[in-house]
Amino acid sequence: MTPKLESDAAAASYAAEASVRSKHRARLNARGVVWASWVIIAILLVVGMHLLNAAAGNLVMPRPAAVLQQAMVMWGDGTIPHALGESLTVLGLGFLLASTTGILVGIVLGGFPFLGRVLDPFVNAMNSTPGAAFIPLIIVWFGLYTEAKVVLVWNAAVFPILINTTAGIANANRELTEMAQSFGAGRRVLFWQVMVPDALPSILSGLRIGAAISIVGTVIAELTMAQSGLGGLLVAAGNRFQMDRYFAVVIVLMALGTLITGALRVAERRLARWRFSSQANGRWE
Amino acid sequence: MAIFVAGEWPLGMTEALITIRHLSKSFKDGRVGALEDISFDIRPGEFVSLVGPSGCGKTTLLRLINGLTTPDSGEVLIRGRPPMFSSDIAMVFQSPRLLPWRTIAGNIEFVLALRGLSRRSRSERAMALLGAVGLRDFADAHPHELSGGMQQRVGLARALAVEPEVLLMDEPFAAVDAMTRETLRGELLRMWARRRMAIVFVTHDIDEAILLSQRIILLKPRPGRVDEIIDVDLPQPRWTGDHRALPAFAELRRHLWDRIYAMAGEGATLEELAGALDSGANLTDL
Repeated sequence: MTPKLESDAAAASYAAEASVRSKHRARLNARGVVWASWVIIAILLVVGMHLLNAAAGNLVMPRPAAVLQQAMVMWGDGTIPHALGESLTVLGLGFLLASTTGILVGIVLGGFPFLGRVLDPFVNAMNSTPGAAFIPLIIVWFGLYTEAKVVLVWNAAVFPILINTTAGIANANRELTEMAQSFGAGRRVLFWQVMVPDALPSILSGLRIGAAISIVGTVIAELTMAQSGLGGLLVAAGNRFQMDRYFAVVIVLMALGTLITGALRVAERRLARWRFSSQANGRWE
Repeated sequence: MAIFVAGEWPLGMTEALITIRHLSKSFKDGRVGALEDISFDIRPGEFVSLVGPSGCGKTTLLRLINGLTTPDSGEVLIRGRPPMFSSDIAMVFQSPRLLPWRTIAGNIEFVLALRGLSRRSRSERAMALLGAVGLRDFADAHPHELSGGMQQRVGLARALAVEPEVLLMDEPFAAVDAMTRETLRGELLRMWARRRMAIVFVTHDIDEAILLSQRIILLKPRPGRVDEIIDVDLPQPRWTGDHRALPAFAELRRHLWDRIYAMAGEGATLEELAGALDSGANLTDL
């Protein structure tokens, strides 16, 4: 009897171990499949560029090798680093300004709901007007150079940040505010220690949206105002039909956007970790 | 088992800690009556349960005692004064309502800071309370890392941390599993025996009310009124032994159910009684 029981237990534990191992392996496999797909898609893109180039010529699509070569030249002679610096200045200043004003005003509008209600149609009107519509006005007011570009980026990015902040505070969890009140929290504590932290995830996703819009705003500013930075390089290359140079710049912009939004996503997960893990577990209540 | 008329106490009893007189409250501009002419007293250190079917305004009554809402007419007095947030009252809710971005210890320190304790005594008291509910090892964890029962225990520790004279509990064990509920009831009774604060305990679980409390205030619905106030004469302490087996328990239980079935006769629909029948149900009161 005993030996059989033992062997049963051993078999059970072996089975459990095997199932854990197979789950682990399944996860590794899934990741491998994703990576393999990425590589395959990248190869297909390069092959597609080649075919298009062969069929329609350099003007329609440059050869990938030519793009790579131009990229190396432009990084080497300082063209791209210099342009990147200019673009990052506009982008950084504009986004920083948009974040601080957006969060501050958003907190005020969230904290004084009456004010929020009064200003709501104006905020919405500004938010739904395309940023490009303000370009002539910004040029008249601020000129064509860095100040004007920063203002354009600020104007494009501030509203999503502001609206997300206000909404996060206005929709603060009523169960938590009531709990804090029942323990004697005054208005100030309630606001700064319950409602604002509760709004943090919403504020962070506003920042992520704002950052993505800032990149668009930066390029638009550099295209339409005094040409500078990466946007300026795009226009210059495009006007001269230097498609290999043009693509070398586009790749930099793609990488920049991916990096910035990726970094903000990581920050979001880290700062509001409790939110993501509680969603994954399924809240108890 | 002595039965008193609502709101009246035999002479010579201890002075009331909470006095409720002719309390009425309605919602939606008076169209939905939540409470009507409620009167009773609660003495210091007393364990009182508010029992009744859904819709009899139990939660509203707690919120009025806590000062979270104000009555339409009548008054609530705590030691002769209207309730304020700064009163010596703490509340345990049906869900734990912990601040998810603070640690477990941080959640308790939050309410201690509201009571003006110094930083050092805050963390000492928080650790002491977490020890009392057996969660000292989880002081630095965040709420989402704890099970529902553990979170509710933190909610209890948080309320006890402010050493309240009155502890209000709004169906605190309704949303935890049966075994955890049994453990938490025992813990609550032990804490109460040690500290002797007054407890007002809302439940629609009749067995729970009999097991825990010294007095049961039975409410009837739409609008909420006091149906009957019943003394529970079961031996103390209640956390040892199985009191459900006592004849007195069965008698009380039968009496309460008779009253609730009588409410059905008085016009409360069976649907409303369903809240009382299904003790584990997660129904929201008015």
